[in-house]
Amino acid sequence: MAAVARGNLASMSEIYQRRHRALYRFFFRLTGRQATAEDLVHEVFLRMIRYRHTYQSGDGFEAWMYRIARNALADQAKKHRLETPAEEGQFEVIDGGGPSPYDTLAKQQDLALLHRALRELPEDKRELIVLSRFQCLTYEQIGRIVGCETGTVKVRVFRAMKEMGRIFMDLQKEKAS
Amino acid sequence: MMCGHAKELIAASWTGEIDAAAESKLKQHLSGCAECSAEMTQLTAMWDRLADLPAPEPSHALNVRWESTLESLVSARRQNQWRFSLSALWPQRPVWQVSIAVGCLAVGLAVGSLAHRVGGAARSDEAHTEIAALREEIASTKQMVALSLLQQQSATERLRGVDYSQRMPAMEPDVVSALIAAVNNDSNVNVRLAAIDALSKVSGDPGVRTSLAQSLNGQQSPLVQAALIDYVVDAHDRKAVSALKQFAEKPDLNPLVRERADMAMRQLTQYK
Repeated sequence: MAAVARGNLASMSEIYQRRHRALYRFFFRLTGRQATAEDLVHEVFLRMIRYRHTYQSGDGFEAWMYRIARNALADQAKKHRLETPAEEGQFEVIDGGGPSPYDTLAKQQDLALLHRALRELPEDKRELIVLSRFQCLTYEQIGRIVGCETGTVKVRVFRAMKEMGRIFMDLQKEKAS
Repeated sequence: MMCGHAKELIAASWTGEIDAAAESKLKQHLSGCAECSAEMTQLTAMWDRLADLPAPEPSHALNVRWESTLESLVSARRQNQWRFSLSALWPQRPVWQVSIAVGCLAVGLAVGSLAHRVGGAARSDEAHTEIAALREEIASTKQMVALSLLQQQSATERLRGVDYSQRMPAMEPDVVSALIAAVNNDSNVNVRLAAIDALSKVSGDPGVRTSLAQSLNGQQSPLVQAALIDYVVDAHDRKAVSALKQFAEKPDLNPLVRERADMAMRQLTQYK
């Protein structure tokens, strides 16, 4: 990224190859929409070029990139009034070319319920789980992204997991009845 | 250890961000806290199961779209860099900017003036030579046309030939000879009269004056006779008095023409 910051825009291609999948999964798990997620990935890389002078190597690239990603998502939500993720039934299935992964999920009922529990979490809590569990960021990095202490992030992630567990239990009871 | 701190360590254990000392403290707390222990078991299992959720993949269209965008951005950047490098040569201080502008103006004026002098003289000589050659060519062509027209069978064409010769700035000897021949020999009175008018341009030539004075005796048309008498008077040709005297003695001469010839002799004898 330092090369890009110095004006070598061609280096952005390598960064894209390394990061675009992770960013796409981040956006898809938060919005539930493939087209929206892809638009946001494109927008984030454009913003990385536009705001390359704000990058500081000491702060960490991941934190910088996800801060841009969160701002892009907030702007997109404001623009499209997408304050909540796709409602139940609006989450798009992932096209794997063969049997849908969600078909597989249907066979694994508890995993399907877990996925649903994650979707039903409030956005800020879902974001913390996505960042820590799926994007594999450290709590320190998440703290720099969301702007709070590392200890606070740990507690908030624990609470998010606890709330997701409660939703999951409720869904299991609902299904059993 | 308080339960609040235990929750932090539980979350840290999920991502492996816990050292051995903290892990030991956590185990110690969990062994004495059923609630935290149950949460640890349940939530850790759920954390592990989340890894089984499928990872969505972006479409190939996203790659194509991004590569296209990046290519256009890199291209635009190169153009901007070129523009920047050119603008970087321009000094920022107004004093230098004005100095460069004045210098460019002075150099431009000097080069323009020099080019005008060197190129202008050469071009002028060439132009004059070309114009002279063209004029000569045009005159030669006109003469040729006039001579050709004077040889035509049609009186109208011969009149055009006389008119052509009259327009020539300098009447060539060939044309003068052709016009004198027309005055003496042309069958058409109008052509002879026109030829006499045309020869008035060369009335200063003694040879022409003598030829026309001698032509007077051979003319039968009173109009042509009168025109020739006027010609010698206008030319102040005193040498023509003897020819007029001889002409006036002709017995079959038109009385008006005779009277005009007598008057002409008197006028010419008055010229000194």
